[in-house]
Amino acid sequence: MANNGDSVLEMYLYETNSLLEQLDDIMLAAEQADTFSQEDVNEIFRIMHTLKGSAAMMEFEPLMTLAHRIEDLFYLIRERTMSVIPEDDKPKLFNLLFKFIDYFRAQVENIESGKPLSNDIDNFVSIINTVIDKINGVDTKKDENTQESTSAPQSSAVSGYPYTLNIYLDEGCGMENLRAFMIVNDIRQCCSDFVTEPEDIDDSAVAPSIAKDGFKLHFSTITDRENAVKIVETLGFVKNFEEVDNVDATEQNDSSDKVESQPEVKKEEEKKVVQETVQKAPAPAPAPTSKPKAQPAKENSTPQGHQIKQSLISVNLSKLDQLMAVVGEIVITEAMVTASPDLKGLEGVKLDNFNKSARQLRKLTDELQDISMSLRMVPVSGTFQKMRRIVRDMGQKLGKRARLTIVGEDTEIDKTIVDAIGDPIMHIVRNSMDHGIETDESMRIAAGKNPEGEIILSAQNTGSEVIIKIEDDGTGVDTDAVLAKAIRQGIANPDVEYSKREILNFLMMPGFSTNTEVTEFSGRGVGMDVVKKNVEAVSGVVIMTSEFGKGSCTTLKIPLTTAIMDGMEVAVGESIFTIPIQNIRQSFKATDEDIIHDAMKGEMICKMDNFYPVLRLHERYGLTPRAEKTEDGIFVWVETSEDSYCLFVDELLGEQQVVIKPLPSYLNTFGIKESGIVGCTILGDGNISLILDVSNLISSDSGYSMF
Amino acid sequence: MSDENMLFATEEQQESYNKEQEVEEVATRKYLTFRTDNLLFGIEAEIVMEIITNYSATYVPMVPSYVRGIINLRGQIIPLLDMRQKLSIEPMDTDCIIVIDVEDVRIGILVDAVSQIIDIPIDSILSVPQHNAQKYVSGMCTMPDNSGTMLVLDCPLLLAN
Repeated sequence: MANNGDSVLEMYLYETNSLLEQLDDIMLAAEQADTFSQEDVNEIFRIMHTLKGSAAMMEFEPLMTLAHRIEDLFYLIRERTMSVIPEDDKPKLFNLLFKFIDYFRAQVENIESGKPLSNDIDNFVSIINTVIDKINGVDTKKDENTQESTSAPQSSAVSGYPYTLNIYLDEGCGMENLRAFMIVNDIRQCCSDFVTEPEDIDDSAVAPSIAKDGFKLHFSTITDRENAVKIVETLGFVKNFEEVDNVDATEQNDSSDKVESQPEVKKEEEKKVVQETVQKAPAPAPAPTSKPKAQPAKENSTPQGHQIKQSLISVNLSKLDQLMAVVGEIVITEAMVTASPDLKGLEGVKLDNFNKSARQLRKLTDELQDISMSLRMVPVSGTFQKMRRIVRDMGQKLGKRARLTIVGEDTEIDKTIVDAIGDPIMHIVRNSMDHGIETDESMRIAAGKNPEGEIILSAQNTGSEVIIKIEDDGTGVDTDAVLAKAIRQGIANPDVEYSKREILNFLMMPGFSTNTEVTEFSGRGVGMDVVKKNVEAVSGVVIMTSEFGKGSCTTLKIPLTTAIMDGMEVAVGESIFTIPIQNIRQSFKATDEDIIHDAMKGEMICKMDNFYPVLRLHERYGLTPRAEKTEDGIFVWVETSEDSYCLFVDELLGEQQVVIKPLPSYLNTFGIKESGIVGCTILGDGNISLILDVSNLISSDSGYSMF
Repeated sequence: MSDENMLFATEEQQESYNKEQEVEEVATRKYLTFRTDNLLFGIEAEIVMEIITNYSATYVPMVPSYVRGIINLRGQIIPLLDMRQKLSIEPMDTDCIIVIDVEDVRIGILVDAVSQIIDIPIDSILSVPQHNAQKYVSGMCTMPDNSGTMLVLDCPLLLAN
């Protein structure tokens, strides 16, 4: 296994993974339709061909062989349409391909983790061979016809000249017959003993056929051909050429691949297939479901003709981070310039031009910021589409019928979030399939539901956070059973009465699983707690709701990672704090009479027929407020997905776009994050403002704990 | 062969030259000295990034009092440590900050006054007597001009909580 440098390997892995993903999409769509359209077949054929080519380049022998065999199979299907596959065998074919994808994925993972490849592909190959044989058996007569009309490898051998050189010219180079004639003349200079096919190569009548299928030179000796190859290699308008030996199969049999029963013919076919793809490969329309992806430059062993040219490039994520950092600095600097204290001394002076330019600058920096942020955004569709496969596989294994409905797959979210939520979503979908959807369809019918289960996967971008919902219409969670189990496991206290939401939260405790049996998919008790941990890693929250008998819904709420955000500057004493605009619901004035005291000396205020706790920021942080009386200050009603309360501050200073800077790591050793300060930002005048984390601020204050 | 000999000769020369240099480098070390109250401290000049004045710190709540807050040093947010309070000395209004970089952690130290940069022979730095070991001091030495005794500040220890 020779790895020709890491970058090539990286490219290979990236390319192979995206091809497998694409293949998966096609397969799922095809299985739904229960057949392959001609377009699918072409696409699969192309993918297999590329997989084979790149595997060969990387010298991953088993992968190459396997892809090659599938390619052969699809070659047959392509030539003779889907009708060669008997109706009964279609599911087998689908399963075969799914297995193939899984095998390939597993192998690619092995490569990624540096493990050796498994060579155990005989089983696979024999299954594929059976299918191929079957097709050949079904339709031998047609087979002969096709062989003759499309490739006719036997006919290309001219007796006495067994060494053939096939030459293909650049597409659209024009005057193909003359160019071919020039080549032939050039070659004549070094060797004369060869024949051309077509014979009258300079006749303008054969130009179209040369343009389409190239032309052939048949040599009597191999050295002649080698000399010819040297000449052909130097010519600019030759796109591609290949050497084909029409020597009797038995002569070279020993050197060939053992897996193949008829090595020479196979080789022939492969060669032809190469030609086929190079020449005919129609710019394949990307599968409708697949997201646009940067296609790296192909590095195949076979020269690729016209790949679809996508105007996409792949960029290292760290470069985007750097860009974001610079843009952040620009935003701060812009604010520093336009709000410079020096300008205050210029009152009365006309600053029209300055103001005009400043406005323009502001507009441009806003634009720059939007673009640089959008660079990191990718649609969730890739992650979502993977779930189709999981639903399908599990449905088959568990004997449950379920369909996956995807809503809002175009929603774009930050790349780091997409990576972080892949596993959690998979866990939840598995849970829904395993625990949610009823095993027995009659149970569903009895409950008045569609016998086919439904899982809805939806994504939504609210502007401040991404909401991902996984809903199923299965049995839902039996809260009594969960509570009983929680008590048994010692997580819950039997004397305490828990709310439904609290009981559901037990499900997210480490090691908790209601499934009595451990299955292949779930029941090991690792699941929801991992989900929770992963989502919390990107500072998101997991909310579970469920109605027994009707289904359950898991919601992941993840804040958009924006290094730049809109904030409200508020002053408390000498300090300035920033409250994220998205958390602010309202600000209002109130007097002491509006405040209601509770027994714990806590304060509450009534807004819109609801009571909300009051948090005085100066008390919380031990500051000396300028607003000593309640009516002097102002209340900011803030809310997050969990909490809602009123923050009492001295005054509002105004809204500002701020760049979030992390606090120095030294300060984090004091647990400052837990006390509600998430970062800081530099204001236009160079002062520092601390950014408040609205949810941590109240939960860290024990007196106002929500639970 | 002659080439090799030449090379060898050059290397040898270089080595001996290097050795001479090293002897000199090892012998002394540059220290930046500063005063806090009546104490004279020295910090290895290597880790000192810069000395700044006239920076106002932004108060940060929920931290020990010796953390004066954070300062904005040309876009970088740097915590500010009050040397006096760290040593439990009565705080005083000073504005002289030494910015140091200890293992990639940048921090500002608020001191009374910065004195000078001085070469100290390494041999002259003595360990602190066990029973009256000062906090955050890794060694001490008499100033070459006999103007007093310098306490060598142990910066990693200063930052550890």
